[in-house]
Amino acid sequence: MNENVLRGSADFTEAIGNAKEINELLRRYGVKFGIYKNGVFKEQFFPFDPIPRVIDAKQFAAIEKGLIQRVDALNRFLYDIYHEKKIVKDGKIPEDFIYISSGYLAQCEGITPKNRIYSHISGIDLVQGKDGEWYILEDNLRIPSGASYPLIARELTRIASPEAFRSNNIVDNRNYPDLLRETMDYVNCGGVRAILTPGRYNAAYFEHSYLAENTDSLLVRSDELFVENNMLWHKTYSGQKTRIGVLYRRISDEYLDPLTFLPESLIGIPNLMEAYRSGNVGIINAPGNGVADDKGIYYFVPKMIEYYLGEDPILRNAPTYLPFYKADMSYVLDNLDRLVIKDVAEAGGYGVVFGSDLDSEKLAGLKDMIMSQPRRFIAQDVIDFVDLPTLDEGQTVMRKADLRAFVLSGKTTRVWASGLTRFSRNPDSFVVNSSQGGGFKDTWVRSQ
Amino acid sequence: MGTISIEHGNNLYWLGRYTERVFTTLKALQETYDKMLDGGVGYQAYLGYFDLPDIYGDSKGFFRSFLFDKDNFSSVAYSLERAYDNGIVLREDISSDAFSFLQIAKDTLKGAKGSENTRFALLPLEDVLYGFWGCIADNIYDEETKNIIYCGKSTERLDLYLRMKYPYEEVHKEFERLCIRLGRVPKNTPYRYNTRFLSDLVEIIGEENEYDLRAGAAVASLERLFESA
Repeated sequence: MNENVLRGSADFTEAIGNAKEINELLRRYGVKFGIYKNGVFKEQFFPFDPIPRVIDAKQFAAIEKGLIQRVDALNRFLYDIYHEKKIVKDGKIPEDFIYISSGYLAQCEGITPKNRIYSHISGIDLVQGKDGEWYILEDNLRIPSGASYPLIARELTRIASPEAFRSNNIVDNRNYPDLLRETMDYVNCGGVRAILTPGRYNAAYFEHSYLAENTDSLLVRSDELFVENNMLWHKTYSGQKTRIGVLYRRISDEYLDPLTFLPESLIGIPNLMEAYRSGNVGIINAPGNGVADDKGIYYFVPKMIEYYLGEDPILRNAPTYLPFYKADMSYVLDNLDRLVIKDVAEAGGYGVVFGSDLDSEKLAGLKDMIMSQPRRFIAQDVIDFVDLPTLDEGQTVMRKADLRAFVLSGKTTRVWASGLTRFSRNPDSFVVNSSQGGGFKDTWVRSQ
Repeated sequence: MGTISIEHGNNLYWLGRYTERVFTTLKALQETYDKMLDGGVGYQAYLGYFDLPDIYGDSKGFFRSFLFDKDNFSSVAYSLERAYDNGIVLREDISSDAFSFLQIAKDTLKGAKGSENTRFALLPLEDVLYGFWGCIADNIYDEETKNIIYCGKSTERLDLYLRMKYPYEEVHKEFERLCIRLGRVPKNTPYRYNTRFLSDLVEIIGEENEYDLRAGAAVASLERLFESA
């Protein structure tokens, strides 16, 4: 059965018919993201397509197993890298890829986060090839965003199309706030939960505030927090203080603590890292995780799984080449016009170049850059991933879509039975990022 | 959550003030318009209450500006934008449902701008604002949080009543309501009243006799009600 064929199709069509109303409601609830264009902040609506991505139970079970395996290995890797570095000593990963990575933070050496969890919330991007195989495209272990969008959309889609839910055994995804709360509580060092936001003008501010509301956490900015007696506190307006036991930060590592990272930074909480190092506050996700979700390190994740878990990887990486290795360099240079090249320092769909889009002059320029900075780039085969049916001005059209799955690591590692499906609104594009104009779909996982 | 930062306290108070300002401005404009139907006082009287110059040319320009011009600090549109700005950073305190009413209010106002019968098209805006306050009453469990919003609301309403010299009974009733709310504000917080200015208000509003002659002084004391002693 095609994964997008659903029982109760009459009511499924009804949901499609309510696309405008659902989008209108999402707008009312402030489901927007902010972008800066020419230095001006603009709030933009994140277009929702009511035709979901549907994953059957068997397929999801395989994805789930593979994701748990991957994230467990990545957590083991992070612990290793900030402690003994066995994987480097054993020659499995060249040290260049660790220490040159901008995500590697020497300041995190020797820190052991509570319960040894580094990536509490992992956003793993996958695509399904036309051969049915799922491929991992990217691991996001710093501050992956996006869970709130399918979460709020589900609430509204259930109203718009009750029969589709009654007839199709779709796993309820509205447990995400509970999963998140449990994840936070598992590393709570004594105090209340808080979500640290850069503020209203951050692209993901909707998500920060929505998750704070639904996990009963404080939503705070760094200027409301301070460290005293090596503990983290929230200043109240009455001059009293409330201890923070776990901080789900939605702010980059370098802005966490000016005494540790950027001394010139006006934001951040002085001495936070010391409180963290002492085990007095949990930070979600752990600072320093960038070393594991670096696009260059991605190549080595299957090796990590074998090394740390002694298992074969369940999920495959997209075929990737590292110009760092001589053999890969010649392959990349010879096949540049049919590969996709990614700048490891970029994110959000930026720094991605399809060789097939470049003329000979630009290809030559790119070759020069790759040869002079081999560590800066990775190259991948272009996966012809599936198109999903998507509504476009009343017509169903096919568009490229990926899936961001959310893996939460607490007492156990769990995969949220849903995820953010992002699609390209441009028929010729493989780029699905919201910052590049993409939209989103809910992801329905069937229970049988 | 019972832990309110200075910034959030400020946002809560101004959310109450601006949302109420939308409502009271709307009501006052409707009343002014209604009086003008019978050839009574013009819009200039409204401007006079707030010491504002007449730069509008005619009543049509006045009403359009005071309803829809986001650059006019005294307009409904301006106040609604500011209410929204405060609301958006308070989602986890006031609930997504309450916040959504601010977006609906913006949409309703925008819709009324293009309507042939503006006054009629604005009627649902009142319903939306009542819906907002219903959500505030129902969805906020923390009484301290709720009370700060209500202090803002009462302060705003009293301010307008005093400026527009509403009948004494109404002013007095609103003042009593504000006093009850002030009594619930914990000591050593930014919205604890300043005794001196509260005493001034009690003296002026406590007596019906010629209260309107001292309404200006009452407004001045109200403005300084939360100054630290």
